[in-house]
Amino acid sequence: MAESPATSGPFRHVGFFYRTAKEYATTVAAFLGDGVAAGEPAFAALPAGQLSLVADALGADAGRVEFADMTEMGRNPGRIIPRLQAFVDLHAGQHVRYVGEPIWASRSSAELREATRHEALINLAFAGADAEILCPYDTTRLGQAVIAEARQTHPLLLSGGDGATSLEYSGPFGLPSSCSAPLPARPDTAMIHTYRSDLSQVRALVLKSAREAGLPDERAGDLVLAVSEVAANTLRHTPSSGTLAIWHNPHEIVCEVHDRGVITDPLAGRRRPAPDALGGHGLWLVHQVCDLVELRSDNTGTTIRMHMAIRSPRPLS
Amino acid sequence: MDLLTTSVATVESDSEPYTLVELTGEADVTNSDALREVLDAEVAKQPRTMIIDLSGLRFMDSSALHVVLRANRVMDRQGGVLALASPREPVAKMLRLTAADQLIPVYPSVREATAG
Repeated sequence: MAESPATSGPFRHVGFFYRTAKEYATTVAAFLGDGVAAGEPAFAALPAGQLSLVADALGADAGRVEFADMTEMGRNPGRIIPRLQAFVDLHAGQHVRYVGEPIWASRSSAELREATRHEALINLAFAGADAEILCPYDTTRLGQAVIAEARQTHPLLLSGGDGATSLEYSGPFGLPSSCSAPLPARPDTAMIHTYRSDLSQVRALVLKSAREAGLPDERAGDLVLAVSEVAANTLRHTPSSGTLAIWHNPHEIVCEVHDRGVITDPLAGRRRPAPDALGGHGLWLVHQVCDLVELRSDNTGTTIRMHMAIRSPRPLS
Repeated sequence: MDLLTTSVATVESDSEPYTLVELTGEADVTNSDALREVLDAEVAKQPRTMIIDLSGLRFMDSSALHVVLRANRVMDRQGGVLALASPREPVAKMLRLTAADQLIPVYPSVREATAG
């Protein structure tokens, strides 16, 4: 079979559709175990419950695989690519294997959209990388729309033991429609504030709202930093004012910043800047501290929604 | 009142004098040019040691961080040492997340920074 450009070179990105825990454990363990047997670095980021399933199936090989709890590492899917990039960089010159499961049924629809965007961006971020990536999808619990979009974000598919190229794959620059559709309307109750130059006032408003919503101090400080970085971009890159909207419900507080700036880089904020870089930290910090970040940009302006869960089990340290 | 105030002193110590810059308030994109001017002027005097006291700083954004990183680069080139002292938690966390604390030594106090 002639290889399409999507699957040429060492980079492989496979959507794995599974139905049973046994099929899951066997397939994922075989994928990682083959890497271990070949002396390749292997990394698995899976929801906590799935980790033990795979570790048990791997047996002694489990000790040679790096594991991470995806509910922490990928709570904000915008943090996964830089984490995986660090693994690839650490093993430069070697073929690496990675299993990443950022999509599970209990995720909110906003999270599912961003996790799907992350899956699409993998193709762009790691094009040409010497990496083999397997992404499990639980077809018994995920909605059909999620699975349909997984066919668009993965050049290769594995289902019922059969591997195939995906006919629906949309290419390294393609995005499933849910990722580019307008964001759902914000609630009428949102507090609106227009700023032009006073970022201190922006920060004070965010801090006050975060505390009222019940966010602990450290995470309130995180949200203040995130919003301030985004609002600073308004001052730096646009001649006009920006708008901040804040709302919360029992589960989360959301801050939305809209301005006339344009962000064209789909990977903005998903590359770790060099420590001594004199730029590029802003959006990266936003992704590091927030639980979820949604970004929409076109030639009329940019909207960035930053979410913080109110009852978060552990703060990022 | 200004959002950010800076004060600069040359401090005599047991070993050798050092430059102490105290930042108070909030450092962000609206005052990073002013901060750069202050740090540039001090770095140009080629001190062996410059300590930035962050204990009065309530907030620092990435523009202010870039000014500090730039000062650190020049200090390095001149064979001098830049150190940061007593950041409050939000600022300390920002230094950790950006890994700036791997490039520039961060001390719990000015006294410990002078002991190096």
